[in-house]
Amino acid sequence: MQTFLQVLINGTGKGAIFALLALGFVIIFKATEVVNFAHGSLALAGGYVVAVLKPMVGWWSAAAAGITAAAVLALVIERLLLARARNASDTSLAILTIGVDVLVLTEVVRRLGTEASPFLGDPYDVKPLTLGDVTVGRSEVVALAVSVVLITAFFAAFRFSPWGVAMRAQSENREAAALMGIRSSRVTASAWAVGGALAGIAVLFLATQDFSGGGLSQATHGVALAAFPAAIIGGLTSPGGAVLGGFVVGLTEAMTAQYVDLDFAKVAVYLVMLLVLVVRPSGLFGRVVQARV
Amino acid sequence: MSGQTTGRTPGRRDVRPLRVSEVTVRFGGLVAVNRVSFTVEPGSIHALIGPNGAGKSTCFNAISGVCRISSGRITLGDVDLGRTPPHRIAALGVGRAFQNLALSPTSTVFDNVMLGRHALTGGGFLGHGLRAPWLRRAARRHADRVAEICDFLGVARYLHTPAGVLPYGDQKRVDIARALAVEPTLLMLDEPAAGMNASETAEMAALIQDVRDELGVSVLFVEHDMGLVMGIADRVTVLDFGRLIADDVPSVVQRAPEVIAAYLGVDDGQGQPAVKTRAGGGFPGTGGGNGDPATSPRPGRDGRAEPDSREAMG
Amino acid sequence: MSDSNRAAGDMVPGDGRWWRIGRVAGAALLIVVLLALPLYLPGEWLKVGTWMMTGAVGALGLTLLTGQAGQLSLAHGFFLLVGAVSYAVLSGPAGDPTYIGFGLPPVVGLLGAVLISGLAGAAFAPVSGRLRGIYLGVASLALVFLGFWLGRALPAVAGSTSSGRLPQPFSIFGLSVDVSRQLSSLSVFGVPLGRDERTWYLYLLLTAIAYLLAQGAVSGRPGRAWRAVRDNETAATVLGVSVVRVKAGVFAISSAYAGLAGVMTAWWTGIMKPDESEVAGSYGVTVSIAFLAMIVVGGLGSLPGAVLGAALVFGLPVALPLLTQSASADIGSGTAFSPIVITNFAYGALIVLIILFEPSGMAGLGRRLLGPARART
Repeated sequence: MQTFLQVLINGTGKGAIFALLALGFVIIFKATEVVNFAHGSLALAGGYVVAVLKPMVGWWSAAAAGITAAAVLALVIERLLLARARNASDTSLAILTIGVDVLVLTEVVRRLGTEASPFLGDPYDVKPLTLGDVTVGRSEVVALAVSVVLITAFFAAFRFSPWGVAMRAQSENREAAALMGIRSSRVTASAWAVGGALAGIAVLFLATQDFSGGGLSQATHGVALAAFPAAIIGGLTSPGGAVLGGFVVGLTEAMTAQYVDLDFAKVAVYLVMLLVLVVRPSGLFGRVVQARV
Repeated sequence: MSGQTTGRTPGRRDVRPLRVSEVTVRFGGLVAVNRVSFTVEPGSIHALIGPNGAGKSTCFNAISGVCRISSGRITLGDVDLGRTPPHRIAALGVGRAFQNLALSPTSTVFDNVMLGRHALTGGGFLGHGLRAPWLRRAARRHADRVAEICDFLGVARYLHTPAGVLPYGDQKRVDIARALAVEPTLLMLDEPAAGMNASETAEMAALIQDVRDELGVSVLFVEHDMGLVMGIADRVTVLDFGRLIADDVPSVVQRAPEVIAAYLGVDDGQGQPAVKTRAGGGFPGTGGGNGDPATSPRPGRDGRAEPDSREAMG
Repeated sequence: MSDSNRAAGDMVPGDGRWWRIGRVAGAALLIVVLLALPLYLPGEWLKVGTWMMTGAVGALGLTLLTGQAGQLSLAHGFFLLVGAVSYAVLSGPAGDPTYIGFGLPPVVGLLGAVLISGLAGAAFAPVSGRLRGIYLGVASLALVFLGFWLGRALPAVAGSTSSGRLPQPFSIFGLSVDVSRQLSSLSVFGVPLGRDERTWYLYLLLTAIAYLLAQGAVSGRPGRAWRAVRDNETAATVLGVSVVRVKAGVFAISSAYAGLAGVMTAWWTGIMKPDESEVAGSYGVTVSIAFLAMIVVGGLGSLPGAVLGAALVFGLPVALPLLTQSASADIGSGTAFSPIVITNFAYGALIVLIILFEPSGMAGLGRRLLGPARART
């Protein structure tokens, strides 16, 4: 029971991070219909800035700079590249982001070199929390708290703020939204920036001893890939689904690692995704798009 | 067109009636087609009309199997189309051209039309990859037939041009050629004259009649151009809000009060003006003066409407 | 779907007589050059060529799936693994205490490996037949992770992670590929045909078969069905194409191509060994993305484009060290611009630039340059 609680809390904490990544991924998809394969690279680039600045300006300022860097990078990708390829098909745009991913990933990994991978979770990493007779990683608990705050804030903004209204309007019907005076480019750009910032926050927890047992490296990019199954499980068009998908992924991974096999954990995540897709090809809450003829 | 070399049935085809009986199609809570029944008699030209959102295209989609019917039956001869996998329906002799030109823009006209013969041809990856002689022979035969059909439609000179670069009217013709390449007994045309000018519409009318006369097939078509509808249709089925409101010969349909009401819009009790509230197409009787369909193949712009854009599932 | 970005391979070239003669002459010249190269090139350059051909075979398969049928896959690496492992097991020596092997002749092993890869792809039908485009791309990531785990969980099949197992070199009718130049009894124009030369001819034959099969299918009924499914699934259905079957089928075919590329990879590296991580290595996500890069750079759907793209993406990292002669010296410092890094930059940038500026890739560029010549005929 004790172990189960421990696994449950750790899994939920991990899930919270996947939820942040998947949420950003889905926001971008909803606003621009681009499947952003460079999402892992956004996280990696943000993390790299944190790692470089941390010894100079301290963790808090470095973290803020890293989050900003990830948001700016996302913005640059959108403004500089995607905005210029509006007429390309969604598959072409997805492949474009794969190209960007290769570039960013290669450069960050090259810069990191072969030295020890930097850990990014200074204030909370490797400081276990004991709650009653359960000991859990502090990173997971902080991640969960941060995610709950951010996700709540996002849904409040999505529901009530002018930005959220514009976002939703645009994802429903781009032309109509434009006619109503919603500036599509501003909505699109802000969606990318938000997605990037969320990835920048997520990496502060990904590259920790608690979370992955490793610092910032190419492997972090692989871990961040789990944002895809999370988003797909929930349905690419559903922010709520992305959050749920994130938790499903986190818990599946933690439970499998504990009760089945450590190495099998990642596979299990993807198998759950396949299972969902076979039953519901658009994910749990995804909109079914029907072609018109 | 008479010298058929590779059809299902040489010469006159075994054309059977299409019976739509009590068909209902629902999308979620929306009833797009509500207990509609009509029959397309063998060898007849049958029009399906109605204002925007009346359920015409949904009806088409139900017949060609791309949307499932909630209740009712659609049969071609004694085959139940509702129980046939959608991709098998073409092989039963149903050819369909689309409202919004579903051609592959980068493929040649030949490739586009040849696709219509998918069910009539065979061979998979290995057969074609290894260039099996019998497949090559069959392919040449089918290619001749495709050229013949394209010639009949007047697009033969574009055979090796990418379909996407052709003028709109020719793309329409390629689309119809593709539907004919299926060697259908029932040819379904979704707004064949949409976006065409008067003379092009007249040509289209002649073409549809030629197809029926020479091949003896049934033609079921959706159209907003009332001149075209009243000019060539043997029978007209009118839908409004998913319900059937008239099903008769053109001269009767034109005078039916329900049809006039549907096309002009009626006072809905909310202070709306009683004219032109939601009509997608021109009223059958207007603009023509004489109501005699036999003498008025008027493919003029009077009955013109924008292509149907609001209907669910196109 | 109005979109001009995905169809480099569809356009039928003009059918002018001179154009056709030119094409035949060009093809004949190419064949002569490819057959003669081993007589002039040193072994290490032949290895660059055979590696390019390995990439070409995999890229041909992927361009059928992604370029022709519009289905994205990131699982190409996984099917390379299936092919390589199947070959190692089928043709591996029977009775080996560490590794499972059936001791079958290499030809049987090769055909079996291709067949097994195709069947593995066919088994993915419940997913590959139902999902579209990008959804399939993300779903296919599952296979990469599954393959990585299986490879490490079954060392008796896939080779141990430390030393790996040796794939049986190819031989047929007593004629082996694995013969050193000094001992070779076979020579052409006085040039003895050793391991590298023989591998070149074997790979050339395999690539040619793969290319011709794909060409026949693309220009025939299967190709038309693929493009119809890519451009409009509903219209394809109405015209009699079973969309589910076509999508599942082209996925299986693409997998078989990847399987063949996997066997060629195992021969080329001379070792069968599972990857160190899911992302890097010979069978991971990175390799899948490299294949995707090849077909985008070459022009989606274009067969010559796939071959050219493969030459660039697989050729560059092995050719650069030969050109600079200083390959391994500064890799140790970690942050150096190693050939791999340079290649990654090159094809990452190429993907971006090509999608932005030349969506039909090198094939489109070539067509545009040759366009005037064709028009004149």
